[in-house]
Amino acid sequence: MKGQKKAGATKGTNLRAFYVVFAVVALAGIAALGYAVAGRGGQVATEPVELAGMQDMRALVETAKGVTIGESSAPVKLIVFSDYQCPWCGVFASRVKPLLEANEVKAGKLQIVFYDFPLGGGHKHSFVAARAARCAADQGRFWEYHDVLFGQQSRWSAKAATPLAEFEEYAGELGLDPSAFEGCLKSDRYAEMVTANRLLGEALGVNATPTVIINNKRVSNPLDYEELSKQIAQEPGA
Amino acid sequence: MSDGVRRSPSLEVRGAESPPLNRMGIALLSLVGLFIAGYMLLYKLGWIGALACGVAGSCNVVQASSWAVFLEIPVPAWGVGGYTALLIVALAGIQPGLAGDRRVGLVVVALGAIAFVFSAYLTVLEAFVIHAWCRWCVGSAVLATLIFILSLAELRRPRSR
Repeated sequence: MKGQKKAGATKGTNLRAFYVVFAVVALAGIAALGYAVAGRGGQVATEPVELAGMQDMRALVETAKGVTIGESSAPVKLIVFSDYQCPWCGVFASRVKPLLEANEVKAGKLQIVFYDFPLGGGHKHSFVAARAARCAADQGRFWEYHDVLFGQQSRWSAKAATPLAEFEEYAGELGLDPSAFEGCLKSDRYAEMVTANRLLGEALGVNATPTVIINNKRVSNPLDYEELSKQIAQEPGA
Repeated sequence: MSDGVRRSPSLEVRGAESPPLNRMGIALLSLVGLFIAGYMLLYKLGWIGALACGVAGSCNVVQASSWAVFLEIPVPAWGVGGYTALLIVALAGIQPGLAGDRRVGLVVVALGAIAFVFSAYLTVLEAFVIHAWCRWCVGSAVLATLIFILSLAELRRPRSR
């Protein structure tokens, strides 16, 4: 009887000790994941990050993840590399893209694939702006946010400090979940993706923005809708 | 029974089993594996911007490769599912009523073997196909190997239980 009691007590002690260790590991793991998701203590990624192994084009395209409008089955693909602080990119976004959408995309002839190409240098906020648009994409509002960024370009672009407050304000105006957007913006989320966008552009020979490529052919004047439309119409299947 | 409560003899026998240490170990290792797989899945879903991969690591290359998806489901999601299943079975297996249950042991061995083989396959891909290493994938492979080794103790359990 005494032996049985002792064995029972040992079992109980074993299980208790196990549960204590288990709880410690569980709490440490949850804390570590929370810390990683929250952006390592709130650091905001404002510049491209180190990205290994991007010599492999397939890995680069997979990491870059372009944002599309239009059917993937469309016979013509228009790729645009853009910088949110570039005024001509703003012209493309506000004047050319809407016409392409209303005509060629709507007719099922064209798919537009958007890639970030943050120039850096004087365009010191374009990287974080690109990340902000990707954060909006988390809530299914990439294109609306993209349009707002270009529409408000002159307002946030001239700021000396990183215009996080403006970006959050635009998210609020679009009705995005403010805490989810802020959590994403004030982290390093999408830093690799936007960096890969830039590297993909470099790999394709992009050296200015906006650069537009239609079915692997670079367009000389991407701001002329009529010329773009003609070129799209000449593509096989269009 | 001095307390007047009737208990089935089989329950008493099972209740007399100590919680198996190997199952405790498997539960702990599965929990760690679950966090590693969860971390990778959160990255894959875009919730984490960059994986902590060390200077020489190429986690993003491995994650961006076509091998990072298996049967149209991201590999980390398989990891989360597998480690969760192992965790649940191992935790169930240390409860007094199931501590000596051979069927639980066989499920642990089966899951451990699947995890081990799948991890070995992914490690071979890293070494010979992708030519890039991800420390988290390697860590998960080590955990899967340890889990499989611990699970083999279940095969020594008497058949009557």
